[in-house]
Amino acid sequence: MREKKTSGKRSKRSITEINEKIKKGDVQVLTAEEMKKLVESSGVEIAYKEVDVVTTGTFGAMCSSGAIINLGHSDPPIKIHRAWINDVEACHPGAAVDLYLGATMMSDIKPFEYGGGHVIEDLIMGKEVEVRAVASGTDCYPRTKLNTTLTKDDLNQFYLLNFRNCYQHYACATNSRDEIIYTYMGKLLPKFRNATFSGSGVLNPLMNDPDYETIGIGTRIFLGGAQGYIIGEGTQHDPRNRFGTLMVRGDCKKMDPQFIRGASITKYGTTLYLGIGIPIPILNEGLAKKTAILDEDILTNIVDYGVPRRERPKLGEVSYEELKSGAIVINDKKVKVSPLSSLKKARIIAETLKSWIENSLFYLSGPVERLPTDMVLKPMKQTEEIAFVNTVMYDAVTCTEHDEIKEVANRIISRSVNHVIVADEQGKLKGIVTSWDITKAVAEGKKKLVDIIVRKVLTTTPNESLEAASRKMAQHQISALPVIDHNGKVLGIITSEDISKLRGR
Amino acid sequence: MVRILLKFSEEIIEKPITAQVILEHKVPISIVAAHTDSQGGEILVEVPSTHAERLIDAFRKRGVTVTVPKLIEIDSEKCFDCGACLSLCPVSAISLKEDFSVAFDDKKCIGSPCSMCVDACPVRAIKLVEQHSSGSK
Repeated sequence: MREKKTSGKRSKRSITEINEKIKKGDVQVLTAEEMKKLVESSGVEIAYKEVDVVTTGTFGAMCSSGAIINLGHSDPPIKIHRAWINDVEACHPGAAVDLYLGATMMSDIKPFEYGGGHVIEDLIMGKEVEVRAVASGTDCYPRTKLNTTLTKDDLNQFYLLNFRNCYQHYACATNSRDEIIYTYMGKLLPKFRNATFSGSGVLNPLMNDPDYETIGIGTRIFLGGAQGYIIGEGTQHDPRNRFGTLMVRGDCKKMDPQFIRGASITKYGTTLYLGIGIPIPILNEGLAKKTAILDEDILTNIVDYGVPRRERPKLGEVSYEELKSGAIVINDKKVKVSPLSSLKKARIIAETLKSWIENSLFYLSGPVERLPTDMVLKPMKQTEEIAFVNTVMYDAVTCTEHDEIKEVANRIISRSVNHVIVADEQGKLKGIVTSWDITKAVAEGKKKLVDIIVRKVLTTTPNESLEAASRKMAQHQISALPVIDHNGKVLGIITSEDISKLRGR
Repeated sequence: MVRILLKFSEEIIEKPITAQVILEHKVPISIVAAHTDSQGGEILVEVPSTHAERLIDAFRKRGVTVTVPKLIEIDSEKCFDCGACLSLCPVSAISLKEDFSVAFDDKKCIGSPCSMCVDACPVRAIKLVEQHSSGSK
């Protein structure tokens, strides 16, 4: 028999009690958004008394997703070496016919447009997929080739098994560069002209239980429209910085394509959009308070994705309330913001989970082990040194807009360079002139430098990797990049010739 | 007002054709969007519907290819209201409604000369489509 604690003001609520209420059909459930309103109007004490469960939801791109698939044995049997489903290569981590299909794996035929996420969606929708496999052939598994078509009903197991999902919050992305960049945070316009963010803020599952009191291994959740489970903390779980993540598992055969969708992020690759909802049992008054968190209290950094480094520059802090308003301020300028995860779907997920619980279709399960709250996210140990622009750049040969073409031509010869950077009195970049531009000017009889300066110049910064800088030059078919600081001041120049020399060494 | 798309080839791009048409017909033409360089270009203009036919003739006579711009269309079956397209729209034709649904206003959309949102959609729900009528009212 359970003993009631009488020492405190109120007895604490238990998951068993909540499940009894669910069974009887008199459980009190609110979505996280409704909970804030109740706490605001009636206070934490009343909210704790009245509410048993708060439901949360998020629907966003979750790249570290994938599915475990067991094909069943062929006759004669095969021990798969490599396999493809709809031309997307699956990895083969285990015995004969077990496959793991990663969401970001791209199709050999339509890379960037079709990938593992789409295959998972197609299978869930009941579509037929083509399976192709090769093997080396053994005495017990003689078959070396396999071609077949399958639907989800033909599979033994078809489970979503995701290493890292459901970030507690995420950075807001913007771009300092002078060109559009395509990132996993979407399409970012030049010079901070837009920003993107991900996550549902007040509806975010982990944000509503930030100390992971009720979330851990064994917690039953809404996963892709079905019931799934948390199987541990996700990879890169970083609780101290409120970047908690989850590892989850769920039965794809029961999932609803409305809540699990393959996606293509232009020039980044394919992924899987997934809906996750977690019920938070209000076991104590503290949880009632925590689930009343407001968007204005959830802060995140504005991060410059224009700098492709592990530590990207932070430009400031912003709240989810500002992010959801559609515009934020970066460098004193109003900038439009795109949410990348669907706030509408997040709300639908929290509401669906609420109705499941109210209709006795979903029972809560407490964690058998809680998520770590004190682990640290480590960077990669690297044994190979990576070169950055500042290791190859050298002082640029410069001129001003008022110089004569002849003067510049002389400078090109005396300093034996091909590129002269045009700068103003403060050293700020104004353009570039190449020996080819000078040759062309002479041929066309042009005398003034201002007529031949190339004003639209692609640039780099000292801490950009050489690989990224070379990529930029190759993409735009140019042979040099001025190196500038964040104010546009010229610091030097790098040329593709110098990079090639370095590589050749 | 009617929106028409003017395409200029490399041969005629340096001629002041738009200005000439305005002077000749004494009709205000507002430029909504323009992309031009030495290889040619496109200008999206808005003209009074009463003068549209005359102006189209005048542009065509000067070698300009005149078409109705394609506008975007959002496939509501595919779209899951993420909003990735929002911040890319220069004319705020795409917005989020109170319930966080993505709303599209075809009267504001400048269509094919812009197309910024098209490749930002993770489920390829945005397509450029021919307009059925002769442009908006």
